[in-house]
Amino acid sequence: MRQAQIIRSNIFHRALTVAGVFATFVIVLFGFIYWQTDQYLIARSDRMITRQLNVIAALAGERQLNAIDEHLRQDSRGVQYAGLFAADGSRITGNLEQLPAELKMNDSVQSLSVVRTLAASREIRVIRAIARRVPNGDALVIGREVDETREISHVVGQALALGLLPAFCLCLLAGAWLSKRAQERVEEVNQRVQRIIAGDLRERLPYRDVDDPFSKLAAIVNGMLDEMETMIHALAGVGNDIAHDLRTPLTRARLALERGRTNATTLEQLQTVADKAVANIDQSLTIITALLRLAEIENSRRSAAFGNVPLHEMLREVCDIYEPIAENKNINLRVEVGHRLNVRGDRDLLLEAVANLVDNAIKFTPEGGKVAIELLRGDGETIIRVTDTGSGISEQEREAVLRRFYRSDKIRSTPGVGLGLNLVAAIVKLHGFRLAIHSGQGGRLEIICPDKQE
Amino acid sequence: MTVVSGKRAVTGAGTSGLANDFAAAGNQLMTKVLLIEDDSETAEEITAELVDRGFEVEWSANGIEGLTKARSSRPDAMIVDRLLPGMDGLTVVEALRKDQVRTPVLVLSALGAVDDRVRGLRMGGDDYLTKPFALVELVARVEALLRRPAESRETTLRAGPLELDLIERTAKRGDRLIDLLPREFRLLEYMMQRSDQLLTRAMLLEEVWNYKFVPATNLVDVHMGRLRHKVDGPGDVPMIHNVRGAGFILRTGP
Repeated sequence: MRQAQIIRSNIFHRALTVAGVFATFVIVLFGFIYWQTDQYLIARSDRMITRQLNVIAALAGERQLNAIDEHLRQDSRGVQYAGLFAADGSRITGNLEQLPAELKMNDSVQSLSVVRTLAASREIRVIRAIARRVPNGDALVIGREVDETREISHVVGQALALGLLPAFCLCLLAGAWLSKRAQERVEEVNQRVQRIIAGDLRERLPYRDVDDPFSKLAAIVNGMLDEMETMIHALAGVGNDIAHDLRTPLTRARLALERGRTNATTLEQLQTVADKAVANIDQSLTIITALLRLAEIENSRRSAAFGNVPLHEMLREVCDIYEPIAENKNINLRVEVGHRLNVRGDRDLLLEAVANLVDNAIKFTPEGGKVAIELLRGDGETIIRVTDTGSGISEQEREAVLRRFYRSDKIRSTPGVGLGLNLVAAIVKLHGFRLAIHSGQGGRLEIICPDKQE
Repeated sequence: MTVVSGKRAVTGAGTSGLANDFAAAGNQLMTKVLLIEDDSETAEEITAELVDRGFEVEWSANGIEGLTKARSSRPDAMIVDRLLPGMDGLTVVEALRKDQVRTPVLVLSALGAVDDRVRGLRMGGDDYLTKPFALVELVARVEALLRRPAESRETTLRAGPLELDLIERTAKRGDRLIDLLPREFRLLEYMMQRSDQLLTRAMLLEEVWNYKFVPATNLVDVHMGRLRHKVDGPGDVPMIHNVRGAGFILRTGP
């Protein structure tokens, strides 16, 4: 079952294809080398026998016969052939039994089969031979068996057997191994994913090293799982938070109404009770509105309504709006806009975000303090900075406040604010900006808008 | 703007009693409002409130019937719930507009269901209100729709002793010059165009500040406080009035 899976796997198929292509290529290459060498050797041999024919044919009578004998005697490998035949076809000398019928007397080298008589047997050999009728009418034949070709083909065959076969096997093995490994990893991932599906949100995909594409993929998926885990936990938490936040004013409203119904004796008393109940219900509704608005912003995709937002003008407007409020609290609100800076975004949402920050800053700054809105140019980014001389945000709170949906108990007790920063964070995230919250004495919050490469 | 009550078509069940009682009380010229809302309890509350304020109310519980009534009885204003059985509230409005019926409409939309289509209503001179809402807010908006300031080429705006020069950007109360910041000028201009009308904080935020959200701080109150300080000088009869739990009115009369 497992073997069959490996053989069927994609990776194995590819390895097989590569091995096949590789083998074909090697065979063609070897074939070409063989063919070229063969051609070369035959040409050389042909030149050799032509030369010998010329030499022997130039001799006459006894010397010619001696030369033929000498020529054959010097042939230790048994590849030389020679023969002198009379005009009637009878053999005069040489190791050829008879004049080969198909041999043409035209001084050109040809291939032909001859019978070679050895001590024990007769073999048919294919040789290259050249023949000429010498002046006295005899036919002189010189031949040579190009036995190097056989050796070469033997060598080539061996090389193929020694090189190609193991390489091919290696390819198949590698393919099988890779496919097995891939399958094992898929199986491992599958098991972990099954665990995640089953509800174990802490489970992550296996990660080995940075250069492995599979690990890279795992890292990406793990990042996504991290985000989802945080969100799921946050959602679970936010459910409790909402329940708590809504229950408090609703409980108050209920108590007021219940007591009012029993105890109120005059219309005025009843109206006071009703006012109280309405105020508490309004607070619940405010929370719901804020949550829905938060959801609306978080769910909206980067909208097509994004345009060029002149931040310098927007910040002046925010300052203009909040000036009287700051003045009422004897807070010095100032705006410092050095440059004219634009960003791409939704003007209304950005105004809401900055207004929220300024609103918070004024709220948390004691009388006689200072709040400043600044527009700065950073390294490849535009920074909207809101600073105040309030108590600031502590290190622990800073972490917490940046977490999604988080509302610290301290903040929640101040009306309207709890979701404000969440809203700012959501707006900032929607724009692809960053919200930086600095801890320490005095509040310092920044919306950092990186320049977009377009 | 008003119709003779005798021409009135059949009023919706459940609310007819209240409306008829009011009509029977001898009020011959009443402003007629058509309410299309499927929740009968909400509809009853709205009807009761509007009747108390002197409107004549007709009620339809679904879109198709509402559209028929809107065509036949020609109301002065309409309050339409967005989510309706039969026909979506916005579709009703669009159908009416296609017939060249210009009746101003206040669309009631669920929280979180305010999309571009709903926002577009304000551009067309209509308005929307998200549920849940305060009855005071609803009435103020219906009044505002009914008393939309006419397109005017006047460069001077007058309301009681107040005079606003829209070109020179100057304000006077009687002979006294009032020094206003640009935002205060816009606020006063808006209030003078709608003098003797209740203007809620949400309306002011939307129209004067162009805010699409409700800020945490009572922005409007602070700005209004400053404007009031400038407009109603010592010894003057106060013109800007705070209506508790509702909003503000610029009163021109005594």
